[in-house]
Amino acid sequence: MLEVSNLSVSYGGLRALTDVSLSVAEGQFVTVVGPNGAGKTTLFKTISGVVRPAAGKITFFGKDLATISASDRAHLGIAHVPEGRQVFKTLTVRENLEMGAYPAAGQAAWSRTLDRIHTLFPILFERATQLAGTLSGGEQQMVAIGRGLACAPRLLMLDEPSMGLAPAVTDTIFERVQQIHKEDGVTILLVEQRVAEALELSDHGYVLETGHMVLDGPYETLLADDRVRKSYLGLT
Amino acid sequence: MDIESLIENVLNALTAGVTIGCIYGLMCIGLGLIFGIMKVVNFAQGELLMLGMFASLYLVTGGGILAFLGPYIGPFVGALLAGPIVFVVGALIHKFLISRVSGLKTAGTIDDGHFGQLIVTLGISLILQNGGMIVFGSTPFTVQTPLSSSAIEVAVGYGDASVFLNKAKLIACAVAIAVAIALYMVMEFTRIGKALRAAADNPTAATYMGINVDKYYRMAFGMGCGITAIAGGLMATYLSFGPFVGFDYVIIMYSGVVLGGIGSIMGAFWGGLTVGFVQQVSALILPPQLQNAAIFIVFLLIVLLRPQGLFGRSAERA
Repeated sequence: MLEVSNLSVSYGGLRALTDVSLSVAEGQFVTVVGPNGAGKTTLFKTISGVVRPAAGKITFFGKDLATISASDRAHLGIAHVPEGRQVFKTLTVRENLEMGAYPAAGQAAWSRTLDRIHTLFPILFERATQLAGTLSGGEQQMVAIGRGLACAPRLLMLDEPSMGLAPAVTDTIFERVQQIHKEDGVTILLVEQRVAEALELSDHGYVLETGHMVLDGPYETLLADDRVRKSYLGLT
Repeated sequence: MDIESLIENVLNALTAGVTIGCIYGLMCIGLGLIFGIMKVVNFAQGELLMLGMFASLYLVTGGGILAFLGPYIGPFVGALLAGPIVFVVGALIHKFLISRVSGLKTAGTIDDGHFGQLIVTLGISLILQNGGMIVFGSTPFTVQTPLSSSAIEVAVGYGDASVFLNKAKLIACAVAIAVAIALYMVMEFTRIGKALRAAADNPTAATYMGINVDKYYRMAFGMGCGITAIAGGLMATYLSFGPFVGFDYVIIMYSGVVLGGIGSIMGAFWGGLTVGFVQQVSALILPPQLQNAAIFIVFLLIVLLRPQGLFGRSAERA
């Protein structure tokens, strides 16, 4: 469904991504891992259109995204749960979710998805009228994921959902993401630094280093790779 | 001074403060909307107030299309209609000028486009002032209504003391409150209002939700201009104005918005109300030249005690 081919991105002459290719099939769980500054967030921002590529092509269900504006891409069913959560702090939890359901597909499915979001994250129901900025980091991450789900996405992109969270909260988040994938059948593209857990969940993994895709393959292949074992998993 | 006329003076100043204050409140909402949503400091806001006055004037007087409504209803309908007219003017100004120095285009640049905005809005202000001079001339106008020279007299039950409520100001005040409440409902409960607040809160995240931020900014700018223009149309019923009237009021608008709490759109109403109230009530003890000085003394006191403004709040978790 999502094909990224030979993508290059520069920020004012500085190369952030070089010749990156990636593909996500419908129903898959794909993870991109890599160290800080590898370009993972840039890759996501380019897919959702807030950063323009210097070269390369992104297609979504065969549609070239080059001519589609960033805000219109959400209407195609691409949900981006950004790094650092980025909830609407001055809006209530409920209003945040409503904004997630801004595209037509989300509005049509609203009552059903809202129930689902509350089943996955019951705390969001309790905190419905609270301003999102007053929530804890973990709760904000739940709002961000719920907001992504609210648009009835065909592809859910999660940028480091574990960032800055306590290990126990991260476990919950990972569990919910897996549920969203398995039970709701949502295709997932995940960027993570918690490599072991992330790869374990996924059908296919990519390793991004300093803007280059250095390795990809299914979980078993990556696990068998010495560099991955050493640098990311701390195994010898 | 005998006690009867003292009571009369005080009560008249208080009621004038509230009525004028509500109109100022509406005027401030316009500026607060633009600043709160787009973070653009609009120096041309006073000129949009002026355009609202002239729009209303040309609608209801002479051969204006609303002249048939007569001098009683006409001026107030004219003021309301000045809103959509100036909304269009504002949206065009945004499309061709403001959008080039604001929004996602300048987000993340060294000054977020603020220097550009400063010069552009100042330029627009000067062009509208001097353009107004060419088009409208410099003789002062008012939108004539017999209501501005008639009052409702309310006895206060102490001797002969009574309060005079100017009918034009009273209706203008009621219209201002109605428009402010309507805007509050739109911002709080409709999809458009929530999307506007989302775009103000975090434009990038709003884009991820599928919200076309530039389109909503254009709407916010137009609405901000239109709301101030309605206030202008209302003020035109009791005030004589010319192309340079905006300058006096842009200062009042900024103090109202800062008092209400920068970013709080409805706070701007209460800020404007406070400013109008202080201005009118200070007339009891100060000569008219010092009325605006009184505003700033109260302004400084409030900002000293509540730097975030009356309704400014921090939604950030510590």
